[in-house]
Amino acid sequence: MLDRMVAFALKKPKIVFLIAGILTVAALAQFLRIRIDTDPENMLPENEFVRRFHQEVKKEFALYDYIVVGVVNESHPEGVFNPQTLEHVYDLTREIGRIEGVIAYDMISLSTKDDVQGDEAGSVRFQWLMHAPPYTETEARWIRSRAMDNPMFYNTLVSEDGRALAIYVPIKEKKLSYAIAGKIGGLTQAMAGEEQYYMTGLPLAEDAFGHEMFVQMGVSAPAAMIVIFLLMWFFFKNARLVVLPLLMAADVVILTMGLMVGLGFPIHIMSSMIPIFLLPICVLDSIHLLSDFYEEYRLFPNKEEAIRHVMRKLFLPNLFTSLTTVAGFFSLSFAPIPPVQVFGIFVAIGVALAWLTTVLFIPAYVALMDASRMASFGVDHKEDPTGLEHIILEQVRRLAVERWKLVLAGTVLVVVVSVFGLLRIKVNDNPTKWFSPGHPIRVADAVLNRHFGGTYGAYLVLQSQDETEEVFLDPALLNYVRDLQEDLLRRGSVGKSTSLSDITSKVYDELLGGGKKNRVIPPTKEAVAQCLLLFQNSHKPDDLWHFVTPDYGKANLWLQLKSGDNRDMAKVVKQVEAFLTEHPAPRPLAYHWSGLTYINMVWQDKMVVGMFVNFLGSFLIVLLMMVILFRSPLVGLLSMIPMTVTIIFIYSMLGFLGKEYDMPVAVLSALTLGLSIDYAIHFIERSRQAYKTKLNWPDAAREMFGPPARALVRNALVISIAFSPLFLSSLVPYKTVGFFMLMIMIVSSIGTLLVLPAIISAAPRVVFGHLDPGKKISRCACGQCMLLAAMLAAAVLYVLLGYSVTRWNVATVIAVMVVAVLGGACFIAGRIRNRAV
Amino acid sequence: MKKVLCIVFGCGLLLGTAVRVEAGDPTAEEIVRKANRIAYYQGKDGRARVEMTVTDAQGRARQRVMSILRLDIGDDAEQKYYVYFHRPTDVKGMAYIVWKHPGLDDDRWLYLPALDLVRRIAASDKRSSFAGTNFLYEDISGRGLALDTHELAGGDDKTYEIKNTPKDKGTVEFSYYVTRINKDSFVPVMAEYYDKNGKLYRRMEAVETKEIQGYLTITKMKATDLNASSSTIAIFDNVEYDIGLEEDVFSERYLRKPPFQWIKD
Repeated sequence: MLDRMVAFALKKPKIVFLIAGILTVAALAQFLRIRIDTDPENMLPENEFVRRFHQEVKKEFALYDYIVVGVVNESHPEGVFNPQTLEHVYDLTREIGRIEGVIAYDMISLSTKDDVQGDEAGSVRFQWLMHAPPYTETEARWIRSRAMDNPMFYNTLVSEDGRALAIYVPIKEKKLSYAIAGKIGGLTQAMAGEEQYYMTGLPLAEDAFGHEMFVQMGVSAPAAMIVIFLLMWFFFKNARLVVLPLLMAADVVILTMGLMVGLGFPIHIMSSMIPIFLLPICVLDSIHLLSDFYEEYRLFPNKEEAIRHVMRKLFLPNLFTSLTTVAGFFSLSFAPIPPVQVFGIFVAIGVALAWLTTVLFIPAYVALMDASRMASFGVDHKEDPTGLEHIILEQVRRLAVERWKLVLAGTVLVVVVSVFGLLRIKVNDNPTKWFSPGHPIRVADAVLNRHFGGTYGAYLVLQSQDETEEVFLDPALLNYVRDLQEDLLRRGSVGKSTSLSDITSKVYDELLGGGKKNRVIPPTKEAVAQCLLLFQNSHKPDDLWHFVTPDYGKANLWLQLKSGDNRDMAKVVKQVEAFLTEHPAPRPLAYHWSGLTYINMVWQDKMVVGMFVNFLGSFLIVLLMMVILFRSPLVGLLSMIPMTVTIIFIYSMLGFLGKEYDMPVAVLSALTLGLSIDYAIHFIERSRQAYKTKLNWPDAAREMFGPPARALVRNALVISIAFSPLFLSSLVPYKTVGFFMLMIMIVSSIGTLLVLPAIISAAPRVVFGHLDPGKKISRCACGQCMLLAAMLAAAVLYVLLGYSVTRWNVATVIAVMVVAVLGGACFIAGRIRNRAV
Repeated sequence: MKKVLCIVFGCGLLLGTAVRVEAGDPTAEEIVRKANRIAYYQGKDGRARVEMTVTDAQGRARQRVMSILRLDIGDDAEQKYYVYFHRPTDVKGMAYIVWKHPGLDDDRWLYLPALDLVRRIAASDKRSSFAGTNFLYEDISGRGLALDTHELAGGDDKTYEIKNTPKDKGTVEFSYYVTRINKDSFVPVMAEYYDKNGKLYRRMEAVETKEIQGYLTITKMKATDLNASSSTIAIFDNVEYDIGLEEDVFSERYLRKPPFQWIKD
């Protein structure tokens, strides 16, 4: 089949490119229907409980997602409470209220909030905190003292030290935050004063990340391509030839993305990463081919013969490296996270396309090339290769083949040490930390969380288990909620919390003359109700309904956290749980969590755990494929060793470096698996080919450390250098991708060139036994059968479990179809191999 | 021109019969003055049982039921109000007294029976909510005519349209409001408030009018907050005029001991 494909490509190269061209244009046309989705919340299915509940809570308590605008004045002795800064805040609040998409009515700012004040003479006054900008310092100080005195504003609206105040800007939809923040930025730039302005908040971080990610993609993918081009040019000295892998990579990206968009999937944060994942995979495929073509070009009478030979030789390894990568990504379709499913499936499709283009385009392109222009192409085999590359590879060979015990001992040592690193890995994520420390959002996050109770919001909704109405007028319950708040504050993870208890005790305190701050709840239910009716005589009576439903059946506790880390949110969840168990509520209470910080914790947890489970699945699938490819369970298992060592080593680095296991890291495990198994496949497959002619391992090894090893090293160099510009990105996940590419390439090439030959040296017969003349393949090697059976059982179990926890949807249907295609591919590959043997 | 709001509580109780307009359209000032006179200076006193239902954006309703007594003092614009809460049950017995002084700050007292506390409510402005409804305190006590400039902005066969612009924009949250006044009866039928960006955000409507003891009376009013998408409907029942209220009832003493001869509990 391969021969026919190659022959067709060689004979009718123009038709190959014509068809490709038509398909590409069709794919490009799909981009007209492009839909972009930058909301990480969509990591959870829309009908997920926590998402539905969040929407319900937002509706029930009229809550919105907030952008937090911080105003900080470090130079004025009164901090922000001076007439000029307050005037700016007043103007800014009014102007922000005019921005489309901002819920001006529910903005929290000094100039939009009402204060209640009582005095000893028996009067109670409701008035705006800042009805108009103050003229004098005294007026400014008065505003400060009123805001500080109010538990609803202290540490939320104004900082303890008076140096900062905040404007909470509620927005209609999270996806508007980036645009709105841009407009607010324009407004603050026009305010010339001593004060600084900052903007943060989870909706902004999430939306901004989505936007900046697309920009980064537009910069880094082409940059990586240029670097790849230059490096390959350096290695192969023929610009015309090396431009091909890049064209192919670009074409594969266009076709894949076009298909995805055409099928109606939006481009989500995850899928915007598809190009950067496909790029190295596509290039790797073709480098192996080109490198061999380069090495052997001069051994053949013409370019057609040379390419035919190379294609034949590399067909199986190439097919299997593609299939394993497909399997690695495809296993992501088991993840309970829709965008990850889409991502996995389309990277898998892209990899399959990359294989197809490699098999068709390279011969077709070679056929079209003018042979005279290739005069300087290829290695001159008359001279022995020298140079640094050669010397290093020779040393590596000696080490691996002659001192394999040392290498294996070293490997075991590395694995043991790495396990300690693995144990130190902290699972954590925080969308704000997806930005580099110098990014304005990160800076704002740090500054504002230093000044305030916290910019990360979570809501704890409490409701009685048996009664539905008026339970939250019960003073016992309000005291209980107040105690919970104080307990949380004492434990330190919550910087500030606001509840109905605060409103009630504030009004009660002011009724009794004010200024006592001892947070006393009125003695009876009637007294509570009357205090709250009095509160409703303010300018902002509806503020009450953010904290309790009008039937007083459900209460909402607004928690502000200084950190959006999953671990910190999880800590708060545990603290609340502990309090509720240790201190039984006066009435049995049920509670639920909501708010973006909590939602993030939920999907990130799901993702991290899901990805780990997927990884196990991919591992099993790849293992099975190796068993089929190498016709031996034991060799299959051995071939997994360099990849396993690579992964254990890279992830242990995360543990040692203190880098947290977050979403990008979780996703990259699939890439690590897919890329690093490739080297082992090439190495073992070609070792066997070499063994067939040499019939002893040391000689075969010598051949292996010639052109095959060179191809591998070049591969590693091209990819690790090409993705190093990602380290400069302002988005942390991109740096992570850069780091991983570098590590995958370095560690797995070392693993493959050192560990794998050392293993083979230890037991060459396991790998080559069946190739020795006179030796027959043992039909029943019971140990191997058992091994195979165990692998199959594990795989079946995994798939069953995988699909029972994942609901059926478009993605899973496509997934099942891909399984069928994979099965077919394996079957065909097996037949081709049978003929070859 | 006095807004519809005052009609609800003050004028609403005491609205006089229709006054025919002289030939030709009067000026804005005249319309406003006439509507104001009808709203404030008809009858001597009155009472009503008022049921207010607040419906929020999610359709959740909450109720307030109260009795309102009203008495005119002297020939001036001085008035006194007594507001007694019947429901919700937890706030039963809460009571307000308001002494309205046109041109000056009103005096307001509040009684909280559960705490047995009488508190003076200091008036920094009158545009705070009335008991958590969509009516504002100013809707009860009335807005001084002299606070706004009035211009005839149009209208149709049945109503005059008056644009009212505050003289001191700093003290109110609206930039102007437009009232529609019935040409025959001089009853304000609608008032619409525009915010500082010129966006309509608040509306008051007279939904139902009845003649009671010869006085045309608005018996159903609606206030809508377009920002919060919530609205309040006030229904006036048991409306009676000229019942012979005495000024003594409107004193602090009666906050603790409600005048049950006038208020059916």
